[in-house]
Amino acid sequence: MTLAYSLTDISFYHGPRKSLEVARLELRAGEVVALVGPNGAGKTTLLHLMAFVESPASGAIQFFGARVMRHNMLTCRRRVGLLLQNPYLFHTTVLSNVMLGLKIRGISKHAGRSMALEALERVGLAGFEHRPAKLLSGGESQRVALARAIVLNPDVLLLDEPANHLDRQSVVRTREVVLDLNRSRGTTVVLATHNLAEAKTMAGTIAHLLQGQIIPGSPENLLSGRLSDSGSLFDTGRIAIRLPARVSDAKHLTVDPGKIALSRHRPASESPNTFHGRVVSLAAENGLATVSVEAGERFQINLPWTSDMLPDLRLGQEVWITLSHDGINLF
Amino acid sequence: MQFFVDSLLSALALISSFDPEVYLVVWTSLKVSAIATAIAAVVGVPLGVLFAVKRFPGKRALVLILNTSMALPTVVVGLFFYALLSRRGPLGHLGWLFTPQGIAAGLSVLALPIMVNLTLAAIQGLDARLAITCRSLGASVAQQIVLILREARFAVTAAVVVAFGRVVSEVGIAMMLGGNIKGFTRTMTTAIALETSKGEFELALALGIFLLAVAFLVNAMLFLVQRPRV
Repeated sequence: MTLAYSLTDISFYHGPRKSLEVARLELRAGEVVALVGPNGAGKTTLLHLMAFVESPASGAIQFFGARVMRHNMLTCRRRVGLLLQNPYLFHTTVLSNVMLGLKIRGISKHAGRSMALEALERVGLAGFEHRPAKLLSGGESQRVALARAIVLNPDVLLLDEPANHLDRQSVVRTREVVLDLNRSRGTTVVLATHNLAEAKTMAGTIAHLLQGQIIPGSPENLLSGRLSDSGSLFDTGRIAIRLPARVSDAKHLTVDPGKIALSRHRPASESPNTFHGRVVSLAAENGLATVSVEAGERFQINLPWTSDMLPDLRLGQEVWITLSHDGINLF
Repeated sequence: MQFFVDSLLSALALISSFDPEVYLVVWTSLKVSAIATAIAAVVGVPLGVLFAVKRFPGKRALVLILNTSMALPTVVVGLFFYALLSRRGPLGHLGWLFTPQGIAAGLSVLALPIMVNLTLAAIQGLDARLAITCRSLGASVAQQIVLILREARFAVTAAVVVAFGRVVSEVGIAMMLGGNIKGFTRTMTTAIALETSKGEFELALALGIFLLAVAFLVNAMLFLVQRPRV
């Protein structure tokens, strides 16, 4: 298994504030990986570090097995394509924008032109080559930036919020081009998004980011608190969750929404992690029913459409939830 | 009023007759101003880029000094260079006092803060995504500077034009370092000052018309380069 990236003990500061702290992150070559998190979680910073356009304050990055240092940074950077959330296009034509990276690499004008035209065709912008880049719409600009990145045939393609504020046509085309690159050339794709549904549509692996940290599990049921009872209980201040094993240090806990059992009646064999609550919302998302239950803390539970529970669930209904041990992650 | 009209008509006659004295003065002025602006651009534009992109202690103080230097009194620059270039001065051996080179050297110092400051402002005013985009496209440091300057080309050209406008219209340095020697270091501004004091309004007015024409051309260029385009 070849690793495209291996990040160890990475930190990054915006002014005096530590905006990113990644103890360990490994991404396999040829994968499509999504970095999911809310705004300000550190997704863009992490992408910039992975594109080598910013350097971490501390820690090490291995890129395809080689430690990235000052002397090989430019070489590594030239193997990565970065698509910004709101791409910058130069004050020139669409074609010149797409050819820029090729020109930087010393590719002849003639060869560069045909490569750029082909890239423009792939992103659905054939015939746009002589247009002033600054006069394009947001979706067109992003596709030009995508063409500018893919024309360089990068080993890794990094996309920052590729579906944000864009027309559907651009979103679909971007997704098709990126996934096609991944399939046909084995390009490693890393996309940062706040949209979990988009991440699940595109990516095989999902890493969740919160407040500059990669969190284990998914963030729907993220609780903060402290350990008690010699590290065997996690106390949020409102409920106490019995842990599968004693731990020495943890400030946060996540519970996988698919690993919470829901019942209308008090379970016969009550587990220490069974809580009584009320249904506060019901919604449908990504082919799953999402039930929110207020049980001291608010828990989100994912149920398949085939679940027997669903037809009888009502808002305000009393229910019992049981957290499965293998759905609990601490950090 | 009649006096003014008569002088203006005589001045226009001097211009249309291609009077060699008038054109030599205009040429000297344009020559020293162009050389001074070119020197200031070669030194000032890279310095402006450097000050814009680098973080270093005392940067704010430097920007404040540069801002103040944009209003540098020309006679002070003239005086300073006079001391440098005079026979007993440290650069006296160059023999540049009362030569076009001397004027160009003084004028380039006048233009330098304008060039540095306006370039710095132009680069700092660029989109923050530009630097990241340049780096992500794999540009080396030298290629990044070229790309950044290319994006700021209109503002940097405007800096050159403004600096040229400042030096071509100043009188203190040209007078103190050039000595207003006829046919050698006489510029439009020094000639206007001299001819007016002699009562030769026709020649002074003719040169004044040229100076205004140059000012107009400079502003027309500025207008043209600042027009939005691709």
